[in-house]
Amino acid sequence: MAEPAQELIEYIRRELIRRPNVPIDGDTPLVSSGLIDSFSLVDILTKLEEVTGMRIAASKVQPKDMDTVRLMLATAERVGKPRK
Amino acid sequence: MWNDDDDARTLTFGEFTRWAQAQAVYFHEQGLAKGDRVILIMPQGLELMAAFAGALLLGAVPAILAYPTFKIEPAKYRFGLSGVSANLKAKLVVIDESFPREFLDYVSLGDQSQLVRALSPAPNAATAAAPDVSFAPEDVAFLQHSAGTTGLQKGVALSHRAVLRQLAHLGGALKICPEDRIYSWLPLYHDMGLIACFILPLVYHLHVVMQSPSDWVMQPGSMLHLISKYRCTLAWVPNFTLQFLAQRVKAEERKDFELGSLRALINCSEPVRAASMDMFTSAYSGCGLRSGVLQTSYAMAENVFAVTQSRVDGKSEPRRIWIDSEKYLREHVAVPAAEGSPQTVCFVSSGECLPCNEVKIVSDEGQELPPGQVGEILIRSDSLLEGYHNRPDLTAQSLRDGWYWSGDLGFYVDGELYVTGRKRDLIIVGGKNIYPQDVEEIAASHAKIHDGRAVAFGVFNASVGTEEIVVVAEVQDVADLADAGEVDRAIRGAIVAELGVAPRGVYLKPPRWIVKSTAGKPARSATREKFLAEHPEVKRS
Repeated sequence: MAEPAQELIEYIRRELIRRPNVPIDGDTPLVSSGLIDSFSLVDILTKLEEVTGMRIAASKVQPKDMDTVRLMLATAERVGKPRK
Repeated sequence: MWNDDDDARTLTFGEFTRWAQAQAVYFHEQGLAKGDRVILIMPQGLELMAAFAGALLLGAVPAILAYPTFKIEPAKYRFGLSGVSANLKAKLVVIDESFPREFLDYVSLGDQSQLVRALSPAPNAATAAAPDVSFAPEDVAFLQHSAGTTGLQKGVALSHRAVLRQLAHLGGALKICPEDRIYSWLPLYHDMGLIACFILPLVYHLHVVMQSPSDWVMQPGSMLHLISKYRCTLAWVPNFTLQFLAQRVKAEERKDFELGSLRALINCSEPVRAASMDMFTSAYSGCGLRSGVLQTSYAMAENVFAVTQSRVDGKSEPRRIWIDSEKYLREHVAVPAAEGSPQTVCFVSSGECLPCNEVKIVSDEGQELPPGQVGEILIRSDSLLEGYHNRPDLTAQSLRDGWYWSGDLGFYVDGELYVTGRKRDLIIVGGKNIYPQDVEEIAASHAKIHDGRAVAFGVFNASVGTEEIVVVAEVQDVADLADAGEVDRAIRGAIVAELGVAPRGVYLKPPRWIVKSTAGKPARSATREKFLAEHPEVKRS
């Protein structure tokens, strides 16, 4: 799997998941399944900026755009601006 | 209504009034009349507020329900809208343009209910006047609900006079003035968002700067950015928010905050914690946060809103009391102890009663207790609910001899109320009420769970500053414990789908693990104690 996706998955598994030892891949629903709660979205956004090297305006992101790692990366593509 | 610095919409009171009048005319054309209930399911925003006000103008009785979010799968959506509209016999159910299409098929209504879309956009010019309606002070103005199967059956009916009395008392206690400006991200379907941040400014003609909760949670610092930008003076938040803001806003974002305009930030709707308040103060005193800004209040929909309010005078801070923890846990008494001595626990005062509001602390048998003893909090005031709509049975359980039995626990010292917890096992997550029986019903409906044996309770998480839901469920067969992962996922997903909140964990246990009461039913607090003893890693306080 591509680097940024793997990094995100590792981060989520390590820091945020409410139930350890659950397999996660790029398409695992995270918020809608209750594996992470919405309070963690702001942390994920920060990590997403880090792994993609983009600035992502939170106001342009809706929680549903962050439900899977694949969706997160697509969101970064769509609304992210390269960091200077 | 703010979405972004480039995407904010402002309405004057005049524009808002015209929109509300146009909504009223439109609803009237759809058959809505005085006394009819109307359910509003719309996202946080001006349209929702205008629809609510429009219903009020007609003398109809609106009830705002939470908007379905992406977390909720349509197919598994046990929203029970048909249950609510049957209980309320709502004439209209009002949705907006963006109501998700995939939910429309699952919106089942009673025969007498009609689905309509709210009037949008706001009219450019004045429209026909809404029909003339006469109001009596004791008429019910609107209804409020909590989420979940239980909450949706308890429509708190509030009269016009109750609402206006509460606003008079609260406005006085807060020393409201025309220059006040309120900031809010609180949902309008919750009493704090509805009363303090919409109806209060509407009545007092104050400016409001509002966000939707789902926008705010993605960018918590935006709250402080908006308070700085618009020079807001007042805000209300549940306890966890103070901690969330202290921990999740980056230093580079903070340097632009200027919080000197804020004169009261009121911690309310879940138990207040000294640690959370201190974290916020440490994090933001360098941003111009004045002293005496953090305040507290004890409030509930059944009293319209506030029962108590700490002193808002620009310098006082809510009192703290340190009590002996052994005596508190064993004998349910608050015996003052020196701050910092071992075996003490700290409680923060929720303030003094508002005028015309009284509190009484009673034992399990209903005997009044003296100050310093912990018991159930009873409330008597001039702004209590008329009852739970169409549920005289539920009303009779909680409203007796003019006192409202809150189900909350607390004690009184020196004229101030300290709220310590909940008697009826209610779980409060991020300020949101969750009834354990709703969680248990969801868990128990999984095929692998034995005979309805599921228990749900709250555990406080100190790193977040709020409670979390823990579910313990017995499997049919010890062999089923091997499927724990799959069962956990299914139950967890179902809980999120129905209640919009992710549980801390779903713990599967072998048959006969759950502690039962003498009547043979699962005993929640005893099970909770057993669970915490076996899972010390879960309790962090």
